Order: sequence, then structure tokens, then C-alpha cells
Amino acid sequence: MATASWNRHHVLSLADFTPTEFNTVLQTANSFREVLTRRTKKVPTLQARVVANLFFESSTRTRNSFELAAKRLSADILNFAPGTSALSKGETILDTAKTFWAMGADFMVIRHREAGVPQAIAAEMDRLGGQVGILNAGDGWHEHPSQGLLDLFTLCTPLDPEQPRLELLAGKKIAIVGDILHSRVARSNLWSLRASGAEVHLAGPPTLLPLEFANYGAKLHWQIEPALAEADFVMTLRLQKERMGQHLIPSLREYHLQFGITRDRLRLCKPDVKVLHPGPVNRGVEISSDLMDDPALSLIPQQVTNGVAVRMALLYLMGSGRV
Amino acid sequence: MSEPWPNQLLQNVRILDPVSQTDRFGDVWLSEGTIQAVAAQIMDWPEQTQIRDGQGLILGPGLIDLYSHSGQPGYESRETLASLGQAAIAGGFTRLTLLPDTLPVLDQPSGLEWLQAHIDPNWPLRWQTWAALTQGLKGEQMTELAELAAAGALGFSDGQPLNNLALVRRSLEYLKPLNCPVALWACDRTLAGEGVMREGIDSLRFGLPGTPAIAETSALAALLELIAVVQTPVHLMRVSTARSVALLAVAKAEGLPITASTTWMHLLLDTTAIASYNPHLRVEPPLGQPSDRLALIDGIKSGVIDAIAIDHTPYTYEEKTVPFAEAPPGAIGLELALPLLWQHLVETQALTGLELWQALSTRPSQCLGQATAAIAAGQVAELTLFDPQRSGSPSKSLSKNTPWQGDLTGQVVQTWCGRSSAGFQSASKDPKR
Repeated sequence: MATASWNRHHVLSLADFTPTEFNTVLQTANSFREVLTRRTKKVPTLQARVVANLFFESSTRTRNSFELAAKRLSADILNFAPGTSALSKGETILDTAKTFWAMGADFMVIRHREAGVPQAIAAEMDRLGGQVGILNAGDGWHEHPSQGLLDLFTLCTPLDPEQPRLELLAGKKIAIVGDILHSRVARSNLWSLRASGAEVHLAGPPTLLPLEFANYGAKLHWQIEPALAEADFVMTLRLQKERMGQHLIPSLREYHLQFGITRDRLRLCKPDVKVLHPGPVNRGVEISSDLMDDPALSLIPQQVTNGVAVRMALLYLMGSGRV
Repeated sequence: MSEPWPNQLLQNVRILDPVSQTDRFGDVWLSEGTIQAVAAQIMDWPEQTQIRDGQGLILGPGLIDLYSHSGQPGYESRETLASLGQAAIAGGFTRLTLLPDTLPVLDQPSGLEWLQAHIDPNWPLRWQTWAALTQGLKGEQMTELAELAAAGALGFSDGQPLNNLALVRRSLEYLKPLNCPVALWACDRTLAGEGVMREGIDSLRFGLPGTPAIAETSALAALLELIAVVQTPVHLMRVSTARSVALLAVAKAEGLPITASTTWMHLLLDTTAIASYNPHLRVEPPLGQPSDRLALIDGIKSGVIDAIAIDHTPYTYEEKTVPFAEAPPGAIGLELALPLLWQHLVETQALTGLELWQALSTRPSQCLGQATAAIAAGQVAELTLFDPQRSGSPSKSLSKNTPWQGDLTGQVVQTWCGRSSAGFQSASKDPKR
């Protein structure tokens, strides 16, 4: 596997990823996807290396996906659960990170409900000598780079399963629908899709889709129909139920009526349109229930499967050359 | 801290005098807490005179802090009165004005008495207090304003937004005969919501909840309407948006009895800095857009914004070592403001030396309804001597919550406040000059 084009020590954001870096991740993930179909699914790449999962905010799929990815690479895993930690005893997040550093963690996978925490920990680790690679597994509304990369991989592989690459998406119409404002997934997707040359359309009510998103090079729609027209892919986002209390939407029912993805609405898209969702899905809110179970339309299971390969690729690339 | 007072002669020093609006070189002779003479060259001086070469140094009126937070009483791990006073003096301040949000809140005469009993009157620093406008800073009921004024409160402010306009109206009416300054912070908490930085392109990109500019401007417009009717003089604190500067310009042109201040941090930083997620950049009101920052600098230049406040807000390492959005708002500033403002606004010619100095000295005193003396023979010596080239780092404040870590260029070398004075040796072993 080629790693010459990789010298990124932390993965905190996709904002400054180069096209070459995106393609390196896609190619590496494709190799691991092949590994994962073998009878022996494990490679010794990260043997004796330590991956610490620091999930300050609870997560099921991302944490398990990273854990499985690390195990497939033969790494040792440390899991951190905030409920049982010293955080409740007055220790700071940097203290927690330093504890895992002192134990010899080589990688820290960090999820936090507030934006900027992985960056703060990365800065602290660099100050301590720069031996620890930090992976942002979702920080507040800011970014979720591994999700952005697995979405990119999931969009590219149907177009060329042998050689998924960024350029395949050039000119494709991709609609991202829902609560863009509060979505770290949307922000990471916007960076990778912009790099690909895809035509990105965002749709949501004005309260969840401020005009400033036009600065990402996307087209904004406050009604869903023009966003879906002739779309190649539709990416839906989770709607947090507390948004109603913040005067952002009147009700989940109205949201579904205005922006829910239904079979009827998908008729506006290209005939072979595919639908993605980062999960967990509010069935009947962002997307009608039957639709997400339809393999002809939904790429949601592939997203989960690809997540492991993409996270293996990230750990592999970040770990290469530092054995 | 007070030194035996010899005659002192400063030779060939750059004198910034906002009262006479002059920026000139000359000699200054000080004795017995008074300016004895100011001239292009002083030829005669008594024996026992300490002579100092003032080349490269700047002498101006003592800096006046409009509002800052004390840790003591209640939060002594953040700052004690001693550390706060030392930081103020080291930063060039000769008057320090405390906000009432201590524990207990300064909302009763006993609190003011306690403070007076715990400060050292020999320091070259005048301590003054904003007593609380509402009981317990709850924004519900007026404090006993007349009694507090009689007990020595300089003026009244909660240092927090008051969203009950009826209360604000009645307070301003009630205060009329007391002739005390009142400081209000225009901010609508319902519009500010959970915001932790100014809403806009950067808040969107950084994924941080935004506070819209209208949280300030709508509250400011409402206050201006109220002041236009009640006509009690009001100081509008912590102005942070370009639109506010425009609203204030109109109100001042109409003759409303208002003064206004922004904080030194809002003149130096904007939302783009928050890319670092440094919790020390979390302040309230939040740092503005780049266009807000430029409008505030223009506001200082034009006088629409009268003064620069320090709003020194100490927090401990533990309190600030948290994610940006969870950090309590505020940063220290007493030891940093003059060096950094000089370096970034005067050296870059965004402001003249005189414009900056008056916004930190004579203009704040006007906002507080206090007299300001010229740098002239016969005046009480309330002065600050500043070396814009000497480097050093803040060391007096107990808290270190500031985005500027390490050495700064520009240090105060001496302050005088009447008969008291404090001098500072170079902290750095190898000064630049």
C-alpha cells in the first residue's frame, strides 16, 4: 500500500485535506475492504501499538467501528467511558489525555460534545513530544472526519469498485438534506465533496440552514424539491429532537412533511439514486421507514461496513513510518 | 511598594498630555507628589534629585480602569485584592474600578466598608467600586442606592445584562438626584441564547453556537430609547459590534447623555482567532467579526466610543482548561492591555499614541464623572511612565487566563499616584534596548 503521499500526524478536520490525501485514504481503504472479505481478517500492522478510545460523549457505532478497525490491525485497545472516569473527580480533559499518554497510547480517538476538544488535545500531545496521533471521532457541531471519509468512500465505490477515487464524483449532483447547522457530518462532507468537484445542494428550513453555508461552495435550498431534482445521491442527516424546544422547527411531523425523504420525493432524482444516512436514524422523521430497508435505494449498511475499512486506513496511514 | 520620594527629574521624555492634546518631548520635575515643572529643558533642579534619562520613554496620565473583576472576596484562588492591585499598578493603572460580582455581592454598605478595610492606602492606586444596581445581581430589585452612594460607591452597575426594562427605567429615574455614574451592558439574553462566539461564517465553520450581533444592538436600541426619555447619564459598557457604533453615533449626535466603552480585547482580536479553540478567547460579549473590530477602532478615533475598558476577569487554570464552549467567559488584562494595544494599534498607526493613551486615561475618567489633570506645573502627579521597547511578561495576577503567553514588548517602568509611586525593574535579563 502506498503511503508516500501521507505525512499527516493527526486527523482533526477535512478542511485542509488535499485531493491526493483523499485519494490515498480511498485507495488504502479499498485494500482493507478486500482484507475484510478474507477468511483471516486480521493484519499485523499495528501489533503492540496502543489505540485509546476517548469517547467523552457516548457513541455506539463510531466507537465500535474504531475498536474493530484497531483490532483488525492487531493493536491493543484502551476504552474510556466518562461515566466511570476521573472527570467526575475534578480532572480536566487534558489530564485524562495525559494519563493515556503516560500509559503509552500511540493513537487517541476522541469524541466530545464540544467543538475543538480533539484539537486542544492534539496541541497538548505535540507539546509533550509529538508521539501521539489524534483522530477526531466527532467534536460538537464541528467535524467528523472519519464519517466524511467513509461517506466519500461509499459514494465512490459504486462508481468504480476497483479504483474508488475523488474524481469520480466530479459533476455528480449530491443533495444533503436536514439539520445542516448542527451537523458535524455535513461539515466534513462539505469539505470532501467540494474537493471532488461534485455539485453540492443543501436543503433544510432556514433555521437549520443559515445563508453562510453558501461559503462552502454549495447551493442552498429552503425547499426540498429543487435540491432533489436529478440528484445522483441524497445524504440525509439526523434531526435531534431537542431542536423543537429551541424554536427551530414547529414539530417533527411538519419537518417530515417538508423535508422527509420518501419514495415519492425520490422520483424527482435520477432513476438510480442512492440514499445515505450517518445514523442513528429517526425512522419516519428524516427518512420514511421502508425506504431505509430497501437495498435498491439505501447505502446505509454499506456506510457501516465501509466505516471499518476507512478507519483501518486512517490508523494505518497515521501509524506508518512510526513503528 | 511606595518609595521614599526624592525629587525626580525626567529628561527628554515623550509627554502625551490628552488635556492639552499635545504629544511632545520635554523634561518633567516631580516632587512631593506634585508636578513642579514641565519644560522643553529644565536647567535648574535642587540637590537630592534623582535624574532619569527619559529617552525612548513615554509619560502620560495614569491609566484608569473602567471596570474589572476582583476575585476577593469569595474567589481568592482567582485573584486577591493584593494580586489585583499589583497587576493594576504593574500595568500602569492609577485607578481601578471594581465590579460588584464578588461573593458576597457588593450590594450593601458593609461590603464597601470591608473592601476599604482590606486595601493598602499607601499603594499608588485609587480603588473605586461599582456597587450593584440590583440586589444580589439578580436583576429583580434595586439595591439601596442612596445609602450605597453615601457609603462611597463610585457608581452603579451589575456588570451583567438587565433584561427587565421597567426596572432599568425606574432605576435611572431614581438615580437622578444622586449624580452617580451608571454602567449598563446592552445584551438580550434570549437572543444570545447558548451562543459562545459571534454568529457568522466563522461560528458556522468552527461548529460553535453563535451569539447574533442583534443580541447587543436590539438591547442597545431599547436602552437608547429609554435614556432619551429619562435623560439620566449612562455609560454603555462592552460595546462590541459595528452596528452599535453606528447607533451610538446617532444617539450622541442627538445629544443623549451617554458615554461608551469597548474592551481592549475587542480592539485586538476577532472571530478568526477562535480557529484555535483557545478557551481564553471565550469572552462576553464575544469577539466580533473583523469588520466589527475595525469599526470599534474607528469609534475610538472618532470619539463615538469614549474609552477602552480592561474588564480584567481572572479564572484559575482548572476553570479555563475546558472545551471552548464550556469555558467561563473572560480574560485577564491589566498587565497586558497597554503593551499590546501600543504594539498592535499605535506601532501600526491605526491610532496615534495620544488617541490610545486618552482612551485609557482621561476618557475613562470622564465616563466616571471624574476630573482629569493636565501634565503641567502644580498638578498632582498621577502619571505612568512606559517603555514601549522593553520586554517582559505579566507576573502579578494570580490567574494566567489570556491568549497571550510569554513575553510582551512594552512595559510600564514607573507609576505615580500622589505621594505614592511604584517602579519596576526590567524582568528580562537581557532587555532589547
